[in-house]
Amino acid sequence: MLKLGRRTFADDATLMMAIVNRTPDSFYDQGATWAEEKAFERVAEVVEQGAEIVDIGGIKAAPGAEIGVEEEKERVVAFVARVRAAFPDVVISVDTWRAEVGRAVCEAGADLLNDAWGGNDPQLATVAAEFDAALVCTHVGGARPRTRPHRVAYDDVVAAAIEHTVGEAERAVGVGVARESVLIDPAHDFGKTTRHSLEVTRRLDEMVATGWPVLVSLSNKDFVGETLDLPVGERLTGTLAATAIAAWHGARVFRVHQVVETRQVVDMVASIAGTRPPVRSVRGLA
Amino acid sequence: MTGPVLAPSVTGVVVVPSAPLLLPEHAGQVDAVPELRAAIRETLSGLPVGEVALLPEPRWGERVGRFLLADAGLGDRVAVSAARALVVVGDGSARRTEKAPGYLDERAAGFDAAIEDALRSGDAGALAAVDVELGQELLAAGAGVLRALGAAVVESGRAVIAADLVHAADPFGVRYWVARWQLG
Repeated sequence: MLKLGRRTFADDATLMMAIVNRTPDSFYDQGATWAEEKAFERVAEVVEQGAEIVDIGGIKAAPGAEIGVEEEKERVVAFVARVRAAFPDVVISVDTWRAEVGRAVCEAGADLLNDAWGGNDPQLATVAAEFDAALVCTHVGGARPRTRPHRVAYDDVVAAAIEHTVGEAERAVGVGVARESVLIDPAHDFGKTTRHSLEVTRRLDEMVATGWPVLVSLSNKDFVGETLDLPVGERLTGTLAATAIAAWHGARVFRVHQVVETRQVVDMVASIAGTRPPVRSVRGLA
Repeated sequence: MTGPVLAPSVTGVVVVPSAPLLLPEHAGQVDAVPELRAAIRETLSGLPVGEVALLPEPRWGERVGRFLLADAGLGDRVAVSAARALVVVGDGSARRTEKAPGYLDERAAGFDAAIEDALRSGDAGALAAVDVELGQELLAAGAGVLRALGAAVVESGRAVIAADLVHAADPFGVRYWVARWQLG
């Protein structure tokens, strides 16, 4: 069982985590949902499309103007409260590395803290424990928040990702986060070259074999862009190819811009794998 | 057909389709034939538990029939000689439309209509006259067993004292019937 705040999910369920940016400058949408009303419309849209989780972020991952704690809170806390009130059943995740922000959004009704910078603030797990929230433990290879990888190297990137995320997961359980509320994420592109992200995708089954539920965040990222030599707006096909491989290897949660397309791919893979019956089954049987 | 298909103890006869889409191992998330399934369950539920024999078409009839009996809480099949009810498992042509599994054959509509009229009116003689060879050409899985039912009733000299065509439809170009006869 996977417990994400107020919701629980079966062990064979796959979940769509829709990205909702409260930022003026995120790489994919370039501020399309910076205005609160636009961000709220985005939430309504992805919930309608079947997303089980929304991942609300107030700071873009790439370097840029520094956003302090108060500014980050202004961007996300009241918005989380509004989404909580309007959509009582959706799992609310907040993408933050700061414990202080984590505490404020949990008080506003968040279910999940997406620690996208790999345990930079050890207190974030403590906050998750305090509010019985869930936690995503990511691997960024020691990168500081909002830094680009520069001449990174690993003896074995998958082994490093497993060692770090499993270590963080156990540490989270140690400070009181429920074991069924911890996910691990290899964090494609974060502290990684394109080949690192491709290898992590290729060998994702090794992460799944740890037994911790695996979240993947592949959507329109640079490793897809470099692999196919395509700009941000033309990476959906490559993203979905990577999604299919991750799903085949057993990833459970997919952090995405495109909910409908990703859900179709993940469902199709699950049916090929034999874990999900077709919706209809008439051909050759009438 | 070997052995008798109808014992003197049998008073109730039910006809159901042999479509494998009725089987749980072939189910989708959404039941493709909810009305048919409801009609089968309701009709079979009137039969005596543990006293039902099957007259199955040779390909899928046995598997589908056993499942439908179990699904209706009737237990497993019993021998014809020990039965008080008979469930005939077979259906009509699979060539009723261009989208049908066997594509359109213009003769399918008339072939099925004759059987359907016989089931509705309890006309055993008409069933006994079903053209089994044509039925094979029309991919009518139930042609042989329906003809055998008709012939057995005629041969026994017993009357059909009530007949009811509970359900008739061809959602996928195959004619499905759920019918009920009572023998005197």
